[in-house]
Amino acid sequence: MATTTQEPEDSDGPLARWTQGAIQNPERVYRALFYAAMVFFLVTTLFPFYWLAVLAVTPEGNLLAGSFLPTVNLFGVSGTFPLPVPKGFNPAAFVTVFEQVPFHLYMLNSFALAVTTTVIVLFVASLAGYVFGRLRFPGRALLMLGILAISYFPPAAFVIPLFQAFAGNEAITIPFTSIPLFTPPRLLNTPGSMVLPFSALFMPLSIFILTTFYGQIPDGLEDAARVEGTTRLGALFRVIMPLSAPGVATASVLTFIAVYNEYFFSSIMATSPEAAKWSPIVGGILSYQTQYTTQFNLMAAASIVGVLPVVILVIVAQERIVSGLTSGALKE
Amino acid sequence: MRWMENLSDTQYAYLLLIPVFVLLGVVALYPLLRTFELSLYAVSTDLTSTSFVGIDNYVGLFTGEKNRYLPGGTTFLPSSFEFTSLLNSALVITIIFAVVSVLFETLIGLGQALILDQDFYGRRWVRAAIIIPWAVPIVIQGMIFFLMFNSNVGFATPPLADLGLLAPTNTLNDTASATFIIIVADIWKTSAFMALLILAGLQSIDRGLYDVAKVAGATKWQQFKLITFPLILPTIGVAVLFRSVQAMRVYGIIDTVSSCAVVPSLSCMVVATFNTREGTSAAIAFVTAAIIGLVVMGIIVWQGEDAI
Amino acid sequence: MAGVKLEHVTKRYDDQGEIVTAVDDMNLDIDHGEFICFVGPSGCGKSTTMETIAGLTIPSEGEVYIGDREVTNLPPKDRGIAMVFQNIALFPHMDVYDNISFGLRLRDYPQDEIDRRVERASEIVQLEGMLDRMPDEMSGGQRQRVAIARAIVREPDVFLMDEPLANLDAKLKVHMRTELQRLHKELDTTIIYVTHDQEEAMTLSDRIAVLNSGSLQQIDPPLTCYNEPDNLFVAGFIGSPSMNFVSGTVSENTIETPNFSLAFDPATVEGLGVGDEVTIGIRPEDIYPGELRSEIRDPSSLISARVDILEPMGDEIFAYMLLDESETSMDQEQTTNNQLLMSIEPDSDIREEEDIEVAIDRRNVHIFDSATGEALVHKLEPVDTGAGAAGSEAESDD
Repeated sequence: MATTTQEPEDSDGPLARWTQGAIQNPERVYRALFYAAMVFFLVTTLFPFYWLAVLAVTPEGNLLAGSFLPTVNLFGVSGTFPLPVPKGFNPAAFVTVFEQVPFHLYMLNSFALAVTTTVIVLFVASLAGYVFGRLRFPGRALLMLGILAISYFPPAAFVIPLFQAFAGNEAITIPFTSIPLFTPPRLLNTPGSMVLPFSALFMPLSIFILTTFYGQIPDGLEDAARVEGTTRLGALFRVIMPLSAPGVATASVLTFIAVYNEYFFSSIMATSPEAAKWSPIVGGILSYQTQYTTQFNLMAAASIVGVLPVVILVIVAQERIVSGLTSGALKE
Repeated sequence: MRWMENLSDTQYAYLLLIPVFVLLGVVALYPLLRTFELSLYAVSTDLTSTSFVGIDNYVGLFTGEKNRYLPGGTTFLPSSFEFTSLLNSALVITIIFAVVSVLFETLIGLGQALILDQDFYGRRWVRAAIIIPWAVPIVIQGMIFFLMFNSNVGFATPPLADLGLLAPTNTLNDTASATFIIIVADIWKTSAFMALLILAGLQSIDRGLYDVAKVAGATKWQQFKLITFPLILPTIGVAVLFRSVQAMRVYGIIDTVSSCAVVPSLSCMVVATFNTREGTSAAIAFVTAAIIGLVVMGIIVWQGEDAI
Repeated sequence: MAGVKLEHVTKRYDDQGEIVTAVDDMNLDIDHGEFICFVGPSGCGKSTTMETIAGLTIPSEGEVYIGDREVTNLPPKDRGIAMVFQNIALFPHMDVYDNISFGLRLRDYPQDEIDRRVERASEIVQLEGMLDRMPDEMSGGQRQRVAIARAIVREPDVFLMDEPLANLDAKLKVHMRTELQRLHKELDTTIIYVTHDQEEAMTLSDRIAVLNSGSLQQIDPPLTCYNEPDNLFVAGFIGSPSMNFVSGTVSENTIETPNFSLAFDPATVEGLGVGDEVTIGIRPEDIYPGELRSEIRDPSSLISARVDILEPMGDEIFAYMLLDESETSMDQEQTTNNQLLMSIEPDSDIREEEDIEVAIDRRNVHIFDSATGEALVHKLEPVDTGAGAAGSEAESDD
């Protein structure tokens, strides 16, 4: 509070007045606390992005020279400025990122993987969501519990057999026997090796979201569609799904973000971080860290570019994300 | 397609679930069983053949005999109760990571949720800003904190080292420091997720209860203590368990910010060993799954039918 | 030309291990062009019966015929039916035109045919100029008309309507009722209509099918159901306010009830003997104040009663009367025997708490077997003994 440093003119100084008011009206204290907390959260969540921007625009030559926390001299008192500031300004890094490694191709891979997974997940989860949301049958609770349980298991528990299978070297056998089933094609470094685990991993959340939404459609609408001339399955795709558009959108956005964010299978199944071998942005970003170890401005620029799609998605679709996480994830 | 129309609800339900069964069967159930099977075999010393060893891999893990296959000086169980050997234990460090990060995420998430629960101008934008870290890809999250604490450009190490929180040099290769940074990174990214779950609980509270409390003369703090907190406690409980399960999987952020040899989480150990020591790796994976399974059982027992 | 026939239709559900029979051996024969109402209390199986006709539910046993075709296992879309639902069930994401033409578009009708039919249907239900509205921009009545147009446009053999007016307010309901009658005349198709509102059923239908606990109680024209109910259930369900029921015992020449006796010759009803337990059914409009006794063609003797509550309805007054003053218990069993409801002229000067005498028109008294609930007789024969019998009744009349 800057005013406190001033010499109070009399006992009715601003601070005293504020305190007086605060005692009489505690609402003001809560208000002040509220804004202080809000600013704190905003600064802590957004600061890392600011730091990326500072690094990205700092010319490469200046990166290692001196500190990002400049010493400032204010009214004769010198001290360290508490915020990092760019050492110079050169936005060329945002162009160089695409030249040094084909970062746009990595992003394209990520998009392709995310879209494919989302389509598969939506289709399969729609069928399951319809079943769990609209049909009553024996075993329903148990099956939902099973799907729930599977979704909790760590990817590490699946990765070894999947990696072996996707390597395509030996036939898959029925567990605990040596009876061979078939020899899978080599899927490592192809979309299949990532889309399959992604689909299984992220499907349960979509199933639970869609179960909630599909369950809310009045029975009459489904019956009306069937009387009007759709099949049972047709009623799902022509009436129930379009009517649950918000739910479908929610499931899509969450699945897309989840795939785009995924690290574990993305880094393991694309054995070499090359864009041509379907490596997603994980590979793109890591190749800066491992190959161009001192070009920190490029790492930062690549990170900013890589994060833009999801930032836009969050701003555009935040209602859907909030409703999805609150309705679906809590159930999960 | 006529036959489909005449199926009973039960038959129709199971028909439509076939794709789910196939997908989860192939990508989840089969690998899970197979992982367990692999954990019962060991590679011969010349790495050319495998043989059935029963639960030897598990025994080896818990006696420390398998520690030599783990990267760096990592052990599975801690070799002693000193701080450094605790941090070198894959099991302990995973649990430390999960407990500490989830604890802070819950507190911060609660704070964020309380703010987002208010009506104020620009709420939409504040909410978006708070959610954004949750949507940041793990590799970029890792890159951000790598750049923040990197010995060359990282500005954040010296001030925190002055406070004694981090090692002043070689920060990202120091287990304690790297763990601290990784926990901070996880809190940064995941608090918003907790906030949204808790917000859902907050918004399901009947607003009329607050009017009753106001009429009765309760202060804001009393309203929180007597109404808000007890009513959202079950939500927080589920959210904490759910997040703990996720936190136990930690891998990507470690791989990006530091390395699996420095911060040896359980998932890290699985990845680090599965190419050479399949049986050991599978045993670690299965122990991880079993621990998570226990937590999940907790959720299911606690939630009962509501969990579905 | 399509009637609807149900043969031994039974529908059982497995409700968590418990078998529930929703429809029990239903046999129905509905002619082409008939307007049939299914009435009954909720849970009586009327909706399930309709769903088996629609194909939304496959019966556990029995066959369903539409026209000459057996359709028991046919999906709804292939049955040549159209349906209007209780919750109206307009697709909220489509405008009126798309809602109405939904079925036609699914069947790949040529565009000009679709346009022609939609136009005609919207004319019939008076929706011209609203085809581009969305359902949520319309009133309840308009939405209901869209739902009806959606059914009309398909030119179905059979219309199924599941409580289509249930969600409308009272005034609109009466209006839509006349619209439906006009529509039926105009379209000349079979209409099967489910409602729990017996008044709606009375005004609309050619025949009423009264259902209770999954089985058919009676199917007859409305007035037949009203005047000659087959059993206690139909007698109680049809007619508003409900018929009075008084239980009694047959004696030599009367039926004795706890509070009055009614001249009756058991010999006029086959199979009925002295000592049998019966239930007397009297409609409120067949009870008259004592001073009007001379105007009744075949009056009973006078019954003394105390007026409990008067409900003026405008064109008539409902008088709830207690027969036994000492009895104040509201126990259900007692009330039936103790209470009578009389419908009287609005200009009557009867007051609450007043002791009066009433007479019953014996020509409209129904006698039911108490054990089975079956109707035994709907019209009592005049008792020959005339004034003598009336006198003897008057004695027991204290």
